[in-house]
Amino acid sequence: MAVCIAVIAKENYPLYIRSVPTQNELKFHYTVHTSLDVVEEKISAVGKAMADQRELYLGLLYPTEDYKVYGYVTNSKVKFVIVVDSSNTSLRDNEIRSMFRKLHNSFTDVMCNPFYNPGDTIQSKAFDGMVSAMMVQAS
Amino acid sequence: MSVPDYMQCAEDHQTVLVVVQPVGIVPEDQFFRIYKRIASVAQVSIRDSQRNLYIRYRHHYLPENNDWGDFQTHRKVVGLICVTTCGSGKEWPQTSERFHGQKEVFGATLYDSRLLVFGLQGEIAEQQRTDVAFYPSYDDCPDVEKKVEDFVESIFIVLESKRLDRATDKSGDKIPLLCVPFEKKDFVGLDTDSRHYKKRCQGRMRKHVGDLCLQAGMLQDALVHYHMAVELLRSVNDFLWLGAALEGLCSASVIFHYPGGTAGKAAGRNPSAAQGQAADAGKRHRPGALTTNGISADTSSEIGRAKNCLSPEDIIEKYKEAISYYGKYKNAGVIELEACVKAVRVLAIQKRAMEASEFLQNAVYINLGQLSEEEKIQRYSILSELYYLIGFHRKSAFFKRVAAMQCVAPTIPEPGWRACYKLLLETLPGYSLSLDPKDFSKGAHRGWAAVQMRLLHELVYASRRMGNPGLSVRHLSFLLQTMLDFLSDQEKKEVTQSLENYTSKCPGGMEVITLPDGLRLHPVPFTKLPIVRSVKLLDLPVSLRPHKQKGLMENSMSTKSPFIYSPIIMHNRGEERNKKIDFQWVQGDVCEVQLMVYNPMPFELRVENMGLLTSGVEFESLPAALSLPAESGLYPVTLVGVPRTAGNITVNGYHTSVFGVTSDCLLDSLTSVRTSGCLVEVIPSLPRLQLSTSLPRSAHPLQPSKEELSSSVSVQLFNGETQQLTITLENIGSEDLETLEITSKISNTKDGISVTGLPISSPLRQVLKPRAETRPPGSESSKTDYNHVKMLEAVMTFKYSGGAGKVEGYYRDLTLGLHVDVEPSVFFTRVSTLPATSTRQCHLLLDVFNSTEHELTVSAQNNQDLVLHASECQRMAIQVDKFDFDTLPQPDQETVRYTSLKLLEEERLHAQASMINSTLGITWDIPSVRRKGEASVEGVLNQLVLDHLQLAPLQWDVMVNGKPCDCDIIADCKVGDAVPLEVKLTNRSKNTVGPFALTVVPFQDYQNGVQNYDLQDAVTFIGSNTFYIDTVNPSEESLCLGALLFLYSGDFYLNIKFQDDSVGKEPGAGQGKELPLSWFGLPSIHIRAQEAPMEAGA
Repeated sequence: MAVCIAVIAKENYPLYIRSVPTQNELKFHYTVHTSLDVVEEKISAVGKAMADQRELYLGLLYPTEDYKVYGYVTNSKVKFVIVVDSSNTSLRDNEIRSMFRKLHNSFTDVMCNPFYNPGDTIQSKAFDGMVSAMMVQAS
Repeated sequence: MSVPDYMQCAEDHQTVLVVVQPVGIVPEDQFFRIYKRIASVAQVSIRDSQRNLYIRYRHHYLPENNDWGDFQTHRKVVGLICVTTCGSGKEWPQTSERFHGQKEVFGATLYDSRLLVFGLQGEIAEQQRTDVAFYPSYDDCPDVEKKVEDFVESIFIVLESKRLDRATDKSGDKIPLLCVPFEKKDFVGLDTDSRHYKKRCQGRMRKHVGDLCLQAGMLQDALVHYHMAVELLRSVNDFLWLGAALEGLCSASVIFHYPGGTAGKAAGRNPSAAQGQAADAGKRHRPGALTTNGISADTSSEIGRAKNCLSPEDIIEKYKEAISYYGKYKNAGVIELEACVKAVRVLAIQKRAMEASEFLQNAVYINLGQLSEEEKIQRYSILSELYYLIGFHRKSAFFKRVAAMQCVAPTIPEPGWRACYKLLLETLPGYSLSLDPKDFSKGAHRGWAAVQMRLLHELVYASRRMGNPGLSVRHLSFLLQTMLDFLSDQEKKEVTQSLENYTSKCPGGMEVITLPDGLRLHPVPFTKLPIVRSVKLLDLPVSLRPHKQKGLMENSMSTKSPFIYSPIIMHNRGEERNKKIDFQWVQGDVCEVQLMVYNPMPFELRVENMGLLTSGVEFESLPAALSLPAESGLYPVTLVGVPRTAGNITVNGYHTSVFGVTSDCLLDSLTSVRTSGCLVEVIPSLPRLQLSTSLPRSAHPLQPSKEELSSSVSVQLFNGETQQLTITLENIGSEDLETLEITSKISNTKDGISVTGLPISSPLRQVLKPRAETRPPGSESSKTDYNHVKMLEAVMTFKYSGGAGKVEGYYRDLTLGLHVDVEPSVFFTRVSTLPATSTRQCHLLLDVFNSTEHELTVSAQNNQDLVLHASECQRMAIQVDKFDFDTLPQPDQETVRYTSLKLLEEERLHAQASMINSTLGITWDIPSVRRKGEASVEGVLNQLVLDHLQLAPLQWDVMVNGKPCDCDIIADCKVGDAVPLEVKLTNRSKNTVGPFALTVVPFQDYQNGVQNYDLQDAVTFIGSNTFYIDTVNPSEESLCLGALLFLYSGDFYLNIKFQDDSVGKEPGAGQGKELPLSWFGLPSIHIRAQEAPMEAGA
């Protein structure tokens, strides 16, 4: 399960970032922030080839000593980043994909809210609850 | 080998390493001047061969690294240039000794060496030595470059010979095993005769020859040798050297593919070299001209080269492979790291960022054992630089920040705060953080707040430790201003506390701070402390508002819309801001601007020195200090100032001082501020009147509050009571009052106060005291609502002007509202008259009712006081002279023409009543509350009463003995004397009257009801007892004279009887109507005839 989940706007600022409370939050901010370099690189690399039928899932962005960072980009260039613990080897690529899909669906719900202003930070409780379900339960 | 050279790039493999070092005492700056000149010779084309030799200079090189020279020959120090100062011949041996000592250090690998001696002259300097050059001074050494070139050529000769030596060394002789330092002990006792060992030796040697070929400028040969080495080494699993051979292959291919170099800033690294080369480009080949310089007649070599050379993709593959082999050896960490760096540079050129990042990621994990702090900084910096190179700006910023933190790590005895600060500043773009607050004014901040805040905190701390509190204040202000939304309450407190600490030493201001490296830190105005929601320019108070004289006013009304009213309001803020507001301010008067502010902080916010920023006219701002409670709601703040000149003033913004930081906040940059316009006209100064009254001011406004009043007074009065009100006007302005106009208006009754205008030309500050007596009217209507409190309201307007404002046609209004509550006092329930003894008088009977709750005394002129209890009614009789209403002023023709009859009648009645009132002088007095007033009969008078009270139009005067006689006057006369009797008729009616006949009938009244008319014996008339009066014209008199003779003493009465002759004599003439009887009220005359004393005696 994830230790940090972030939603990043098209303009590359965070719309939502949440990490397991036991850890240093700032560290994840740095991790997600730097992962954007890779995301951008991947988007630009793919964008040249096929803009239309792009795979939304970007796969592993980069591994660090302790974490693996996965990325996902919607067609509107909103990025999702999931950070998982490196030690968690049981996690398959498919599970990561399904997490992203769930995240995307929930994000779509947020965007459908007429009271949500696109570009604002996400404060939806439903979204928060869904993210919580995907996070590692602090034990 | 522990210290990596992070600057290495693939093309460094073709260079030869030359160390330049000072020997003895050489001034550092002089050494580096010489070093630069030496280093400018980075490329030498060798005579007789079309090859180039590239030289890499180092002024510092670890001998330890030199031990890896066999592994990769570009690591081997092949040349040594020593620079030394030698003052005299005596020092020469010592210097020479030192030079040799230095040679010893790199002795094993040196091909050649040189000594440059500065300052030595004389015979020693004369001697010709190839390895030593003498120069008189550091400034006088023109041929240093030439000497270096010669030196390089000599190196080339050795290099070439070695290459040839090794390359042809395949004839059966035993090939020595080349090895790296850490391998040496591994090969002890190894079977040197095995095939495996031989192959290893061969492979390594082949690789070595490849290196030499590359250095000697024989790229093609090098590629061939490398390929062979790879095959040989692969077969014996000599991974370290296999890696080296692969890397060599990569390097050679890179040199082939990218003649421009991969370092990215080769020219930058060695600018003088680049210049030098450019200068004599004709003579030499340019550094990128490898392909041309390698051209030979044999085209097959071209083909071979292309075949042997790796494709760009293969280069990366081989690099990967090489690095994976290096990775197997812990001691080859530096080699691996450098290979990574080199590969990244190549990938950066190929624009393959993703793969480059993988190499870098790998490089991060290479453990080089214990690194010194300086090495760590270097490593992080280079990582940052490489990430930047491949376009990973965020990652680059991350490592730069890590490097910055490393500069001030607690383990460092002397932390480099300056370096740390500089590095931190360089990370700003990576975190998309601009230090210009303008970039944050557009709506909510969007960015990586947590990360940015951390960075700002670090900047603050670093700048403080640098000893630049001004900088810390600026950064901290920026943090507070831009990150306010992201700070927790606790953080807000902490940040402001530290800001206050800093500003106590160095107050923050609005100046631009320019850093030594040219970065400009813009001032940070605290537009969020407090947050201003709206700015509204306020009109002057009513009493000070200037008005334009009529006629000049009209054109100021300008509406763009063709509609008189439209619910659609144009939402165009920019335009609104520049719109002129339709009121004026006055020069010299305090003007106000209201801001709605709120404090977003969780504690009380003290804002000091808050004032307005204006342009257009000279404006004296009067700053205010305010204290806003924690998280206050919208809070109105009024900023004041005095315009000192006339013109159009624009309010541009406001300035504050919060936490010791002064800010100028301009409205243009504050998009969230609502304003209804900031441009207002300031008109020239006007005088200023202050109004004070003898009565206390009242708070409650007049009932029909259509207009705003400057002030108002209210008073409670009994009906008929008089209250004096003194109004004092004082000119407290600085301009002379030139005109003053006073008008008054009653708002709900038609009569009452009237004040006449008095034009006044006053000197400065003259106190004016016109007295306006106000007399609350209203007694006329007391009958119907006597127990209701009546309200009277009036407005007095003082219109004044003067000074420069008057010239421009402006004036001011001062209005005073009067509010009077009238309570009923006394009133008359019934009025009737009784005739008095005199025809000129009558008795007026008044039923007086006391409607107050107090006992009161009613008094009239010449009458006894009447005491009335509450709600008591009594009759009082007053003897009054009849009135001559005709003497009242008649309304002039003009008025008559334009006024309705009814109004004229009312006017007349009012005038009559006033006359009666003033004659009667009925006053009341309530002793218990010390109030007194008048009572008016107006309204209770009916026509009958009025008729009775009116003097007849024909006025009769009877004179006896020349004395006027009336009812109660007794005329004295003497018996026997003729008593002259005059009857005078004055016609005051409008018509001609007469003629009349009057008959005088004497009689005696016995006071018992008996009247004796038979007095022929006692009284005799001299002449006729009948008077004839001819026609009398209006306002004329007619006089009849007669005489009486009393024969006896006694009291006599004369009854004058009247006959109207006109009826009989001129029927149809006259006035066609009979004159009323009451017109002929002739007095009865009482005459007392007395004996003359003398005659009585006779």
